[in-house]
Amino acid sequence: MNQDRRKFIKTVFHSGLAITLFPSGVLASEGGTANLYAFIVDTEKCIGCGKCVDACKQENNVPDNCYRTWVERYRIMADGRVAVDSPYGGAKGFDPVSGDEKPVKAFFVPKLCNHCKDPNCVQVCPVGATYVSKDGFVLVDEKQCVACGYCIQACPYGARYLNPVTRVADKCTWCFHRVQKGLETACVSVCPMKARMFGKVDDPAGPVYKILKEKRLQILKPETGNNPMAFYIGLDKEVR
Amino acid sequence: MKHYNHIIRFVTILILVGIGFLLVRSFIVPDSFGVYGSYTYGYHRGDSDREQEAWPPLYKGEKRCGICHEAQASDIMSGAHKSVTCEACHGVFKAHNAETASLVKKDLSNAACLICHQQMAARPETFPQIVSLRVHMGEQDEAFEEQMTCGSCHIAHIPL
Repeated sequence: MNQDRRKFIKTVFHSGLAITLFPSGVLASEGGTANLYAFIVDTEKCIGCGKCVDACKQENNVPDNCYRTWVERYRIMADGRVAVDSPYGGAKGFDPVSGDEKPVKAFFVPKLCNHCKDPNCVQVCPVGATYVSKDGFVLVDEKQCVACGYCIQACPYGARYLNPVTRVADKCTWCFHRVQKGLETACVSVCPMKARMFGKVDDPAGPVYKILKEKRLQILKPETGNNPMAFYIGLDKEVR
Repeated sequence: MKHYNHIIRFVTILILVGIGFLLVRSFIVPDSFGVYGSYTYGYHRGDSDREQEAWPPLYKGEKRCGICHEAQASDIMSGAHKSVTCEACHGVFKAHNAETASLVKKDLSNAACLICHQQMAARPETFPQIVSLRVHMGEQDEAFEEQMTCGSCHIAHIPL
């Protein structure tokens, strides 16, 4: 009896040691994911020039009629009607709407993938093609994707599309290829109003650290539970 | 013992099927699958990160343009357009020399200015914007609009 107990304790100790020493062998995976980056959009500064949309298209070779980021214009009339438009995703700017009816308030809202902490799109992927990277980027693995389109339907923000050229699901990567090289995203780099900001959440010298701590921020569709990492300044209740 | 034969046969087949499954799986599943990230959201082919990281950045930034275009780079920093980067108006960086300068967008039309400065209800009130050139210049006649451009008074790099 005593002998058995000693043996049992020994086994437990050894397997514990093995897991601690060789975690990759036992657990197959090293480290978790951390949401290290955040995107901030200041809708009070945006002038709707659409330079960001254009830059995104050029940088990421986004096909026509597909948008990784786009700018929406909201016009709210005196009787409460809301008119929303986004011609060419805002890439060619906006027309001044002529006519008698003047909106009581109007503003631009740039949108992009929110790179959520708990992304619906990743949960529904049946082949492990879309995932959250180590530092919190929601990415699509072109080679694994079978283009079933589940993720496109699951995203509550409409941030995904089926790329007609590569024929797989595609989306904003927060310019993963640029950020990993220490550059800012293409859209942030061309924004003349600095209405877009991107950076490390815990870098005090970065552009988002102070704003995240001190400003009053909103997220889009909090009720969906996706926990987006894109935050908005001056978001109106009419924005969906 | 002979009564167990059918069970042994069944278990053997089950084991063979299991081995077959693992064998096929080892060929189909890429090596780097599940190496990085959590199981919840991060279960993926690890090489995908490396492949995407390797894409070349196309937008190079003001510093790259300033290597050759020193005067313009310092001009723009001195005026109201200091927050506008080269690539915002001139488009994505394209390597060029004096002969292939046409590769780079140089749009001096009013439309190029108005994409930002056309008056619109949605724009912040403090942002400089005009209804039209005529209104901007105090209701001139129509001929005036044809003769004048924004560039007649303003320099794009140092507008004010």
